[in-house]
Amino acid sequence: MESFITELLTLLFAALRSATPVLAVVLGEAMTQRSGVINLGVEGQMLLGAMTGFAVASVTGDPWLGVLAACGAGTALSMVHATLVLGCGANQIASGVAVLILGGGLSAYYGIPFVGDKIDTLGNLNQTFVSDIPLLGQFLGPITPTVLITLLAIPAISIFLFRTRLGLRWRSTGESQDITRNLGHNPVPYQLAAIAFGGLMSGFAGAALAVDYTANWVEGMTAGRGLVAVGLVIVARWNPWYALPAALLFGASEALNLKLQSWGVDISPYLLATLPYLIPLSVLMLSYRGLRASGGGMPAGLRVVFQSAR
Amino acid sequence: MKKAIRTLLATSILAASLPVAAETKVGFIYVGPKTDYGYNYAQDQGRLYLEEHLDDVETVYFENIPENADVQRVMERMVRSGVEVVFPTSYGYLDHALKVAEKYPEVHFAHSGGLKTSDNLMTYFAEIDQAMYLSGVAAGLTTETNQLGFIAAHPIPQVLRNINAFTRGARSVNPDVTTSVIWTSSWSDPTKEAEAAEALISDGADVLTGHVDSPINYVQVAERRGVYSVGYHADASQFAPEGWLVGAVWNWGPMMVDIVNSAQDGTWKSEHLRGDLLTGAARLSDFGSAVSEEDQQTVLDRQQAIMDEEFRVWAGPVVAQDGTVLVAEGDVMTLEETEKMDFLVEGVEGRLK
Repeated sequence: MESFITELLTLLFAALRSATPVLAVVLGEAMTQRSGVINLGVEGQMLLGAMTGFAVASVTGDPWLGVLAACGAGTALSMVHATLVLGCGANQIASGVAVLILGGGLSAYYGIPFVGDKIDTLGNLNQTFVSDIPLLGQFLGPITPTVLITLLAIPAISIFLFRTRLGLRWRSTGESQDITRNLGHNPVPYQLAAIAFGGLMSGFAGAALAVDYTANWVEGMTAGRGLVAVGLVIVARWNPWYALPAALLFGASEALNLKLQSWGVDISPYLLATLPYLIPLSVLMLSYRGLRASGGGMPAGLRVVFQSAR
Repeated sequence: MKKAIRTLLATSILAASLPVAAETKVGFIYVGPKTDYGYNYAQDQGRLYLEEHLDDVETVYFENIPENADVQRVMERMVRSGVEVVFPTSYGYLDHALKVAEKYPEVHFAHSGGLKTSDNLMTYFAEIDQAMYLSGVAAGLTTETNQLGFIAAHPIPQVLRNINAFTRGARSVNPDVTTSVIWTSSWSDPTKEAEAAEALISDGADVLTGHVDSPINYVQVAERRGVYSVGYHADASQFAPEGWLVGAVWNWGPMMVDIVNSAQDGTWKSEHLRGDLLTGAARLSDFGSAVSEEDQQTVLDRQQAIMDEEFRVWAGPVVAQDGTVLVAEGDVMTLEETEKMDFLVEGVEGRLK
């Protein structure tokens, strides 16, 4: 029994580790989409954040400076999307894809001199009081700072969005720009802030990967996790609280894929590799039965983006 | 008449300005970034060695070329720009290279790791599984839990050879050892590799190795979790000052020089050129401090036996996972058989497909 609980906890914390970068992106992208803007470029912003964070950590020797630089890089790249979409009225889908490719290319090119560098990590909770907690200590100890920061972002975002006046206007911008204007508010600053916040979170997610978790920079290292996060926003129904189970679902299926192999379970590794996509997709399909009319929580303003894209 | 003289003059000036002895242009194509600190990095080190050691050679390279029709276009572009020797360095380029080679019979192609040749296409590779076997010996002598972990990308023969050689090496000195394999289904996915390493360690493995693009990810996790690691492709000892045992690394340079020389002086042969520990194309890295002097000597003795051809990694009995004897005692697998390997040996835990 105890070994079963231990295995379960091992899996849970492995899921949390895998889920963290995805969770950060889901939170940021949900906020962006709440203002009526979709940004498919988050994957590119993650990559630029990962590379910049790793490079700064390598050059300065301070991984925390790396995290900050990653947030800055993600935000800066998201401003390309903002300029195209808000400034030039460009198609959001096309602009997002452009940002995605731009981030991939820029990070690959400027990351070349840093490949194979060794950086200091952010450390973890070992040697703090949590590692002395019986049973849980061995799991809480290895938790790293980016995991904690991402988890704390959930209530912070939730309070902002649902409990403040600014959050209300943010949401109303996403529901209807016309109504926001009629109320005497300009929607553009909200959308700009929303894109920037999405950029910040994806840059941070890049740092979580490159500076914190793997302490390594490899071209294209996000391996599609940014795009997965855009999909998970739908599973999370644009709600920061639901973002946690949605991202954990992905993290758990990814961890389970590897864990089942390590346990020697007799299932084809090819089938297991589909788990991280199959499970969230199934949950999405099941949870959306009967929700079709309401759009599953999709901001009404966002629907316009897809209708105009037709 | 005046015009004709002027034309003649202009032509002769143009001809005089052309270099007398043209440089040989050599083109390289990589499936990933040349800075991956792994497979492509090792091939690119070979390219740099070539530039350094042959004066009349100029190299060009293309990175991140997928294993589809794209690579044919890249090869055609190279040939049209004057490249005379092409190195398509990825396994999946072979059939595309054969097609382009047929179209341009005057150009030489050297494919890395393939098992087909044509008049102007040869293949080169190195039996790095010998070095993997020796790394396995070091792992088998070091492990305390008798569980080794192997993080593998795709079940192709080259990877299976390494998993099997590593396991056979470990079991040759410690018959209780088993190797757990996790497939990541990707040559490069740092997060997955790190998570696979975590999974293997939490299930009891205390020596990790792998065959993915770069050893850095699993080596760093192993070091953080206080277990040992064995590298592959490139020396990653700086990432694991405590736990680094040893690693299997490439050294393509000298072999590439031979290939380009043979194309230049007409001694080119359409063959499967294979290097090994003896030729130095595949070698064992330096040992880490975690391997005792005595164990180092055991590994080096075995290395000497391989180089002297007294000992062969693929000498029978070779026993499959399910206990079937695939190669009887006294028989040895041929190079062609090992390069088509499609099984896992006794002592490996994990499924092939």
